[in-house]
Amino acid sequence: MKTLRRIALYGALTIAALTFIYPFLWMASATFKPLAEVGTIALFPEHATFDNYRTMWARAPFGRALLNSMFVAGTITLSVLVFGSITAYAMARLRFRGRPVLNAATMGVLLIPGQLTLIPLYTLIVQLGLVDTYAALILPYLFNATAILMMRQFFMQIPQSLIDSARMDGMGEMRILFTIFWPLSRPVLSIVAIFTFMGSWNEVLWPLLVVREQHLMTLPQLLTVFSLGGGAGSIGVSLASAMVLVVPVVIAYAFLQRNFIESMAGSGVKG
Amino acid sequence: MPSVHFEHVTKRFGATTVVEDFNLDVDEGELLVLVGGSGSGKTTILRMLAGLEEVTEGTIRIDQHDVTNLPPRDRDVAMVFQDYGLYPHMTVRENLSLGLRLRKVARTEIERRVAWAADMLRLEPLLDRKPKQLSGGQQQRVAMGRAMVREPLVFLFDEPLSNLDAGLRAQMRIEIGGLQRRLKTTTVYVTHDQVEAMTLGDRIVVLADGRIQQVGKPIDLYRTPVNRFVAGFVGTPPMNFVDGLITGDDGGVVFKAEGVHCALIPERTPQTMPSGPVTLGIRPEDMEVDVADTLIDTSPRDGLQGRVVLVERLGGTSHIHFDAGPNRLLAAVTNERLPEVGDAINVRLNRERAHLFVEDRRV
Amino acid sequence: MRAEQRSGSLMAAPYTVFLAVFALYPILFALVLVFLRWDLVTTPAFAGFDNMRLLANDGRFWRAVMNTFVFLSIHLPLQIASALALALALNRPLAFRSFWRAAFFLPVVISGAVVAILWSNLYATDVGLINGLLVRIGLNPVPWLTDPNTAMPAIAAMVTWKNVGFYVIIYLAGLQYIPRSCKEAIEIEGATTWQRFRYLTLPLLLPQTILVVTLSTINGFQLFIEPYVMTGGGPLRRTYSIVLYLYTNAFAYQKMGYAATIGVALALIIGTVVFIQRRVIGKAEVL
Repeated sequence: MKTLRRIALYGALTIAALTFIYPFLWMASATFKPLAEVGTIALFPEHATFDNYRTMWARAPFGRALLNSMFVAGTITLSVLVFGSITAYAMARLRFRGRPVLNAATMGVLLIPGQLTLIPLYTLIVQLGLVDTYAALILPYLFNATAILMMRQFFMQIPQSLIDSARMDGMGEMRILFTIFWPLSRPVLSIVAIFTFMGSWNEVLWPLLVVREQHLMTLPQLLTVFSLGGGAGSIGVSLASAMVLVVPVVIAYAFLQRNFIESMAGSGVKG
Repeated sequence: MPSVHFEHVTKRFGATTVVEDFNLDVDEGELLVLVGGSGSGKTTILRMLAGLEEVTEGTIRIDQHDVTNLPPRDRDVAMVFQDYGLYPHMTVRENLSLGLRLRKVARTEIERRVAWAADMLRLEPLLDRKPKQLSGGQQQRVAMGRAMVREPLVFLFDEPLSNLDAGLRAQMRIEIGGLQRRLKTTTVYVTHDQVEAMTLGDRIVVLADGRIQQVGKPIDLYRTPVNRFVAGFVGTPPMNFVDGLITGDDGGVVFKAEGVHCALIPERTPQTMPSGPVTLGIRPEDMEVDVADTLIDTSPRDGLQGRVVLVERLGGTSHIHFDAGPNRLLAAVTNERLPEVGDAINVRLNRERAHLFVEDRRV
Repeated sequence: MRAEQRSGSLMAAPYTVFLAVFALYPILFALVLVFLRWDLVTTPAFAGFDNMRLLANDGRFWRAVMNTFVFLSIHLPLQIASALALALALNRPLAFRSFWRAAFFLPVVISGAVVAILWSNLYATDVGLINGLLVRIGLNPVPWLTDPNTAMPAIAAMVTWKNVGFYVIIYLAGLQYIPRSCKEAIEIEGATTWQRFRYLTLPLLLPQTILVVTLSTINGFQLFIEPYVMTGGGPLRRTYSIVLYLYTNAFAYQKMGYAATIGVALALIIGTVVFIQRRVIGKAEVL
């Protein structure tokens, strides 16, 4: 009897897992299907073709958008890691005037819904003349409160003795941070890196507001504009553009899924 | 009629056998203790009785019903866990009454039983608190109350005192013993502490490696241990063991080892004495220590000769650690005058209480 | 420690400046914008309480609020039930456990835009996969995204699908904390599987459930890309979300003051709803 329940459980789990995976499989296969076949359920197209990809590539600057996304997400992640850790280090290990206020402010920031600050930020960007610049995409994300709090939490647990002996050796704070704290902080740094990168990679609303020029658009933004604007012409093409955004993520996810889950579930950041 | 009956019970996890052919009858109303080290199988046996582990082979009967394949809820047993297992989100009162509420017992009856258990265990002032507001001892009593309230056929205790400090443990031991005697419910009690076993148990089962070493009343295990394991396990401080030989010198049966010469009582040695190596067992409390005036005395004396290594004064009793030949031994004495470290001593044994072991079995 | 003070202040300075510019200033300016009428090109004009009055009477805005509540009424119970069920299924020694977990979590890492586009196609009335499957079983195709009654539920189902893995992880973490002895004790006390769930598991998962409800609610109020891509807010404005309205006011109508007002109103609504939720659920401790 127990084995029957086990089989039922595995069966249910398989069906559930399929409902989460199958749509992506279908999407992938649809991109290889010619127009006539696109609506079919079959996973393997009868006449596989690269046409959809060719069309997509020709109609809109996806290669450029990919580079844009990589540049923006990469820069933001780097900034959050480097500048964020500097801030977190100061908040965790150095006593300075106003530290408690900064602490409270950082936690307070987490309570603000993004929509409240959206318009004022937009007007700020416009007024600074930064519309259609990389700066507009990057500046508001240079620091990330969640990341700083996480890193601060971690830094607080590193033994004081390490800092003391480093100071006695004459090391400055920055040196201590990067040569001692960073190697020890690999777990939290990788968590922060993942959710920061993913958050930026998938962000659409802000780019839609501050960037109008196609060649500056991020990948999800271009994809959205392309699919909605009718530039795609067919489902296959539109899905092909989605694939460009998704495939790198899925590959990374396949190898690092434990890190992804730990990072995104732990930080509360979703795609 | 026996209240709990184990017949050829065996438990295997994959290729490892954890409990081997366990047979036991627990009498109605008795407090039976399962004692042993970790890995001895004692907890597994208890959990099989509870229904929390499956029985690989064999049968378990409670009050004549075969419960081997029944889930825990149908066995009418109650269990007290090592970490108490209290429901953290419920008050003490709710913890006590949940089992009865689940079985749809009438509310007046629930209230009566909860009041009864609370009174017996002095839980009244705590009834509206949550477990995290209670001390270890209080939580322990709530766990017992929860078991009592169900008025089950069997009480099961899984090392309930392990998480308490020594003083509390002694106190709770007395309480549990007293409670069981008043309620007269059949109880199976698991512990690794042989002092607990000896003071609480009507009968004790000593386990090692999944097998029963000996079953009996505490005093029987103390006086007549069946093998070297039980002899060394029961009794504090533990029994001394000396390896040596039996010879027929000097017109009698004698045990000899380096620093030891002991004439054995003929009536107590079996007719067919195996020649070859035996082990002598003697409890520290069955030894007497004289301080030797001089060491240069080669005439054979009866007893042990040794040199003192450490003297621990514990008040009324003192522990004298000494070396006799290659053996480090311990004597527990009540002498007023005690030897110093480095002194040579003669130690006499109470031959009535000496044990001989051949290949781990007592002869 | 003068040196420490100095290094600390120096190292914390960039972030402080950042907060002032990108956090403090926008909050304050948002409150200022509420009283302005501005199209970003001409000079801003003082509008007094006009924006607020307009908002209070704005049918479209309140339609959007209503839509969100419709969304939440479907999404929340669905989310809790499915996340809980999957977590309970996964909370045992299983073969391939990390595979199942990875499968459920996959949609969480995928961009919302992609998921929206994908499901637009799955829900497509004529060529969509879902209707294709329905027809195969012999049922009639449903105009998921074009029927005003099914559009928001369809989006709610999709968002549930996307996020369930995230909440499964949260529930799994909570399940780990239920002591084994409690589970065994309640079994011995006579609980059936359902009773164990109701009296032990569910109450002890209350903190997680509160988290699921809070995060899902906030998420629901922030809905943007899904209606933007899938329905454009229709049909009959039934999927028009608050943020979509905000975006339209800013981007299309160039009404900064009004858009900011919507933003402030949204923040207040979210705060109130979440506050009430936590109170209500917090009270439901013992079922």
